[in-house]
Amino acid sequence: MEENKNMTAERSLEIIRESIERSQRALSKNWALPQIWWGVLIVVFSFLIAYLWQNHGGPAWNALWFVMWVVGYIGNRFIDKKKETVPTTFVGKTIGQVWATFGIIASLVGWIIFIAACGLIPVEWVVPDQHVYINITSIICLCFGMASTMTGFILKNRVFLVCGIISGVGGYFLAMHFPWVEQLYVMAAVAVIGLIIPGLIVYFQNKK
Amino acid sequence: MFKPLDPLLHSELRLAVVSLLISTEEAEFPFIKEQTGATAGNLSVQLDKLATAGYITVEKTFKGKRPCTLCRITPTGLKAFEQYVETLREYLNPNSQE
Repeated sequence: MEENKNMTAERSLEIIRESIERSQRALSKNWALPQIWWGVLIVVFSFLIAYLWQNHGGPAWNALWFVMWVVGYIGNRFIDKKKETVPTTFVGKTIGQVWATFGIIASLVGWIIFIAACGLIPVEWVVPDQHVYINITSIICLCFGMASTMTGFILKNRVFLVCGIISGVGGYFLAMHFPWVEQLYVMAAVAVIGLIIPGLIVYFQNKK
Repeated sequence: MFKPLDPLLHSELRLAVVSLLISTEEAEFPFIKEQTGATAGNLSVQLDKLATAGYITVEKTFKGKRPCTLCRITPTGLKAFEQYVETLREYLNPNSQE
């Protein structure tokens, strides 16, 4: 770009539009990589836990989800270092806070249920009525769908929006219909629809 | 009669820089350089001009051990940008002036 005192009004507006669009594209593209990473990780761990659950000792293998959080966090730090430097924006911060909220709530609920299942705290503290049934996968799918849909609204991105709604609502009901080992396949499907597909679409759309 | 356009903003590179900064809280020098496609030397000169006019602030800091130049738009810069866009609108829609 050069010094140009004879720019037309149209050209000026074009520069403003292009600049704003370019920075939004960079932001969306940077969100795509961690989404793909977490999506792939959830699919891999879902199948791994499902296999171990069916063949080597039951639902106790669900404890591996905590290993996934650690692996995911390390990988995320690596992606953060490799990805393009994107400016701090209100939009970027808000999306980060939405997903941090999902991560905190999903992992806290998971930890509390796990600790109760291990007998470290009385089960009555978690499920006071014996007729109450908690399906953690349903709850996580719902929270996940909400986070993804909110991301779609904030980024004004229909792909995130639609995939978030489908994976959240679909995952919530399907996980209740298949409460045993099959819920892990529901989780994998939710990760593909809610994370991998929108992540890949946004990444390739903005790769130009 | 049309109002004159702010000469400081009526330059492709400076306008692109300010447009990038209005949608961000702060942006690093390499990001602005990449997004505008400008050379480092030219960009530095234009950033200095904007900073001297009080439209942006340029902070030299460190990110780990690496030096990092952070640019932010100021309220003066934001107001000048709004005024610039308003004037552009008048150029494009002269009938809406009344």
